[in-house]
Amino acid sequence: MGSSLKKLAFFLGIKRKEVNVLVIGLNNSGKTTVINHFKNDEEKVEKTEIVPTVGFSVEKFQNQNLAFTAFDMSGHGRYRDLWEHYYKDCHGIIFVVDSSDRLRLVVVKDELDLLLQHPDVSKRRIPILFFSNKMDCKEALSSVKIAAALGLDKIMDKPWHISASNALSGEGLQEGVEWLTQQIREYITNKNLKKFYRFIEI
Amino acid sequence: MSSFKREKKEEEDGGGNPFQNIEKTTVLQEARTFNETPVNPRKCTHILTKILYLLNQGEQFGSTEATEAFFAMTKLFQSKDVILRRMVYLGIKELSSIADDVIIVTSSLTKDMTGKEDLYRAAAIRALCSITDSTMLQAIERYMKQAIVDRNSAVSSAALVSSLHMTKIAGDVVKRWVNEAQEAVNSDNIMVQYHALGVLYHIRKSDRLAVTKLVAKLTRMSLKSPYAVCMLIRITAKLLEEEGDSGNSNNHLFEFIDSCLRHKSEMVTYEAAHAIVNLKRTSSRELAPAISILQLFCSSPKPTLRFAAVRTLNQVAISHPAAVTACNIDLENLISDSNRSIATLAITTLLKTGGESSVERLMKQISMFVSEISDEFKVVVVQAIRALALKFPRKHSVLMNFLSAMLREEGGFDYKASIADTIITIIEDNPDAKETGLAHLCEFIEDCEHTSLAVRILHLLGKEGPRTKQPSRYIRFIYNRVLLEDPRFRAGAVSAMAQFGATCPDLLENIQVLLTRCQMDPDDEVRDRATYYSNILSRQDKSLYNNYIIEPMKISISALERSLQEYIQGDTEQAFDIKSIPVVSPLAAEEIQTIAQKTDGMLSSTGPASKPVQASREENYIKELSNVPELQQLGPLFKSSDVVELTESETEFVVRCIKHSYTKHLVLQFNCTNTLSDLLLENVRVQVDPSEGYNIVKEIPCPKLPYNETGTSYIILEFPSDLSQSVGTFGAVLKFIAKDCDPTTGIPDTDEGYGDEYILEDLEVTPSDQIQRVSKVNWSAAWDEATEANNYSMMNIVFSLSSVSTLEEAIKNVVQYLGLQAAEHSDKVPEGKTVHTLLLAGVFRGGADILAQAKLVLADTVTMELTVKATEESVAELIVFAIE
Repeated sequence: MGSSLKKLAFFLGIKRKEVNVLVIGLNNSGKTTVINHFKNDEEKVEKTEIVPTVGFSVEKFQNQNLAFTAFDMSGHGRYRDLWEHYYKDCHGIIFVVDSSDRLRLVVVKDELDLLLQHPDVSKRRIPILFFSNKMDCKEALSSVKIAAALGLDKIMDKPWHISASNALSGEGLQEGVEWLTQQIREYITNKNLKKFYRFIEI
Repeated sequence: MSSFKREKKEEEDGGGNPFQNIEKTTVLQEARTFNETPVNPRKCTHILTKILYLLNQGEQFGSTEATEAFFAMTKLFQSKDVILRRMVYLGIKELSSIADDVIIVTSSLTKDMTGKEDLYRAAAIRALCSITDSTMLQAIERYMKQAIVDRNSAVSSAALVSSLHMTKIAGDVVKRWVNEAQEAVNSDNIMVQYHALGVLYHIRKSDRLAVTKLVAKLTRMSLKSPYAVCMLIRITAKLLEEEGDSGNSNNHLFEFIDSCLRHKSEMVTYEAAHAIVNLKRTSSRELAPAISILQLFCSSPKPTLRFAAVRTLNQVAISHPAAVTACNIDLENLISDSNRSIATLAITTLLKTGGESSVERLMKQISMFVSEISDEFKVVVVQAIRALALKFPRKHSVLMNFLSAMLREEGGFDYKASIADTIITIIEDNPDAKETGLAHLCEFIEDCEHTSLAVRILHLLGKEGPRTKQPSRYIRFIYNRVLLEDPRFRAGAVSAMAQFGATCPDLLENIQVLLTRCQMDPDDEVRDRATYYSNILSRQDKSLYNNYIIEPMKISISALERSLQEYIQGDTEQAFDIKSIPVVSPLAAEEIQTIAQKTDGMLSSTGPASKPVQASREENYIKELSNVPELQQLGPLFKSSDVVELTESETEFVVRCIKHSYTKHLVLQFNCTNTLSDLLLENVRVQVDPSEGYNIVKEIPCPKLPYNETGTSYIILEFPSDLSQSVGTFGAVLKFIAKDCDPTTGIPDTDEGYGDEYILEDLEVTPSDQIQRVSKVNWSAAWDEATEANNYSMMNIVFSLSSVSTLEEAIKNVVQYLGLQAAEHSDKVPEGKTVHTLLLAGVFRGGADILAQAKLVLADTVTMELTVKATEESVAELIVFAIE
């Protein structure tokens, strides 16, 4: 009986749960810096020490009772093809965009379209959080303009959110991640509720 | 130990191996578990173990399945389980060569190698280096440098060993880590010190000056690690060997090795003793302390030390017999050692050094346990017997009996081949042993499972059998093979029989009958040979016999194959000309053997010496020369000379010359090396001042010659029509346009250079450049035939060789200068003789055959009567003229 109770608690998402999120975006958009902000003080790296990621690195952080395992992917052109290996088992995606880099916004759009069309992503109601990063830059576009440029309004089957951020100061990051936490919790609860109904029917 | 082994075996038999029945597809299916969150470390570790087990069993993974497993494995980085993580590192290393995009884990591994968890760091470095290629190395360079000087010895060692592996793919980058490696040499940890020295040496090994400095520095500071000292001894020994006898400057190097004899570690003292006895320059006085160390080890309770000592003594028994004899008593004690390897080596060493009287006793001793030792050591025994037979020819019957007994026993191919080799050597060296030896070999081929060996023996029987007292008795043995064996045996037997038919007229009729029977053989090759030989033998023509049966084909087989292939592909109307095939010199084969026998350098890190099958010298050059279009019209290459140095070594420019003879042309190939880092040479050519009669047809300069590179320029000359002018001395000057340049980049400072020249040593063209050696098996038959035939012209000359004082020296000079091949072992002079006849044969460019007989008489000086027969008069004249 005890184990059933545990299962129940687990299904309803009361117990602390581990989730995987994928952090992607073009190179030099600030992915590693964003993740670095969320880490514990003792694990944090000096901002000047951050170097371009080769391949990926795994980082862990906590937010509101949810343990995040972030796969911080390399954004370099050479390695973007490798992102898809990690689509399958993630619960959420953080897509970081350099809002000051107008020139490569089309590249961002291409990559986003590829992501949305990928079989491991298109069929799932997986939440996507966009960070319109580097908002402190002079030539930075507003998050509204970024959303328009990327055609985010056309994404109907997935919850998405865009927040302007400055990963160096941490501005805007917390707000975005709280949204993501909420979404993932709902996503898991929904999935588990279905299972739960089946469970009690039996 | 043995009981433990048995237990283990029983366990395996009882299905104790949990991985016995695993299958690749199932395991790969299970590997999908890696994708689950949260990770179950115990389960994943077990699956990874299975994957590693499969890989180590030699199971082949396809690139797609390996990549899939690899990417699944990368997700395990989210687990903090130490055991699992270390298994992941192993998995990365194993899969790195099969899977694609392995670079994906670079950042994760970099994080681990610089992180706080010490358990991760060393293993992460090793894994990282296995996935890194030369382009990515720059990115991790900073971390590698830090790791090399890390305080944790495991980390430092891992970084150093990985650097050593990286030199294969990116030597230049690793070279930049020399300062860090230098610092690591000072480490207190024995392994770190050893590995650091390895890296340092590897970085500098191509620069002898730097190695000298390194050794000088390290011999002064006392290294703590015995491994490092051993390595240093090896480096020092190599340095001493390379520098040769260049005076006293090396004395401190030798003193260092000598001082290591008194080191407290046994490993180091052995290494030092081993180095000293193997050095060529070691004098007997210097040898004594080293030998006494080895002697001490001979009575050590540790079998490894006894083995090492006796093995070293065995190796040097020939070069330093007196010193090894001093250890005879200790070696006698080792004969009954319970370790058979040690006993074998002890006995063979004693055989090498012992007197004639002890031979029989020792042979008896060996025969007691020869069946118990492995093939490898049996070969050592056989080699010892071979040396013995050469030393004591009178003992041949004892040795031969022993060998034939060994031949009858079970054994692998290498073992049997070495026995047959030894018997063949004994037969060739000692005429008394010939009949018994051949009889033993005949018996052996009756029951021999190694085809190549049997064919060799058949060939030998064909060569030697006809010249014994009673040739007919061998024919039965040979013909037996025709009846029984597989086609290769039969073909060999047919050829051997034909030799008898050609050499012994009274057997001819019988041989013809046998050959006729062989013409019914089911195998094509055997039938072809039988028909061929039977046809030639039916002509009753001595010269046909000589040219087509007795003498082996003197042209290069591989070149013949290539030319025939080209001939078939081209649509020429002309008949195929066999003269266009380069004549192969019998020397080439001997050269290869001596190369193979050379022991490789003492540094074991270079691995065992590879023994590639070498093409003949001419064939190597043909490949090189075929890149130069101008040389294509000259026809086939006839002969290439040895490399001639036109400069002293260690000058500004190094020029080496090779003389290539064609039918009508002489091509001089100059290999020039620029050793000045601040100079770029352009339009490099060698200007020669040929002797009278030569015409320069064309010069092909080398367009560009940067620092440390070797370029080639050619000169094509036409041989003089008067042959006597073709021997002469050419003056040579190296001419070039020099441009000053930046030593580091090699880019010239200005576009304008200045012309300059450099005087080279004179180049000599001798008859040997125009003559290819030919090996005649039956020289006297050819000589008699030449006397009868009317197309040979003969020249005769008597003169004295004043500069030489022994017959051996005279023979060596004559053979070398004329470039003819000595036949019928006539280049070996029996001891104590003062009169000797040297028989020579060769072929001149254009195809004229040459036979020469030199009668040598030794008084105070050597007097020689040289008779030359050649199919062209001018060739005979040239040889006689040249020797004057």
